[in-house]
Amino acid sequence: MKVAVIGKGGSGKTAIAGMLARAFARAGHDVIALDCDANPNLGISLGIGLEATERLAAIRQSLDDGGTEHAPGVEELLERFGVAAPDGVRLAVVTQIDQPNPG
Amino acid sequence: MDIDTMAGLALSLGLEGEGARLPAGLAERIEGKGWQVKSGSQPSRLVDRYARIGPDGVGFLELGKLPGHVEPTVSVAFRYVLEGFRRPGWSVVADLAAGTRQPMFGWARFARTVLVVADASSKSTLTARRLVKAGVGTHLVANKVQSPADLQAIQDAVPLPLLAWIPFDSGFADAEAHGRAAIDTDPRGPAVCAVGKLATRLLELAA
Repeated sequence: MKVAVIGKGGSGKTAIAGMLARAFARAGHDVIALDCDANPNLGISLGIGLEATERLAAIRQSLDDGGTEHAPGVEELLERFGVAAPDGVRLAVVTQIDQPNPG
Repeated sequence: MDIDTMAGLALSLGLEGEGARLPAGLAERIEGKGWQVKSGSQPSRLVDRYARIGPDGVGFLELGKLPGHVEPTVSVAFRYVLEGFRRPGWSVVADLAAGTRQPMFGWARFARTVLVVADASSKSTLTARRLVKAGVGTHLVANKVQSPADLQAIQDAVPLPLLAWIPFDSGFADAEAHGRAAIDTDPRGPAVCAVGKLATRLLELAA
């Protein structure tokens, strides 16, 4: 099953996405939680904590930095850049805008 | 000026009915020069022609709303108005989309004062801190404050000078939830009064 959670800012998308991921995991499913927000906060809702969420590196930035070769597939991307969250959920941040665009 | 592509500012202003958008075609792409607004489209002229006048005489202009597509020509012209509009005695207040994307793409660059609004939740202060780290934001406004501990937590987490704090106010929240302007429905409420003081403080700073 693949679920996307969308809606207006402040409506509770991230909180619901985090709880869904944890609930699926508790029901015995393997779960990948993808934070697709350029201002990623899903880690907080999943329960990895504020500081760990702030330290998370986004896949896109990690690849663009050039410090790593492009991973051959989804499994390796998640293995390399994902972090473990409670109940066995694997969390990965897709992208993050952390610098102003000069243009 | 409503830069958020989700509905919001018109309701908070107390405006009903259709929005106020710039038409397509006010800008064009010129080889070697990029996007340019066509001649004769001075910012003040565009405001006079396309802004809607709302309660208290506020002129309202919006970038556009999803799910419709915001044409590049509209986006260019809107930003041109945002950055170029000046008229003695007038102020420009812009509402950006939630989060970091629009500020990171320079949409707040037109303003000398950039208010970062944060409540005491971890997500809110984390977002505010990301903006500060990126050099976006000049002042902090603590919102939905329910206790001295809330205010302290916000100040501790966001390293910007605190300009004002707004108390949590159920009347304000109710007005917003029902799509009404709290300044009309609850004019003496604590949150409306606190925002009024913030406005006075900003005018003092600008003087």
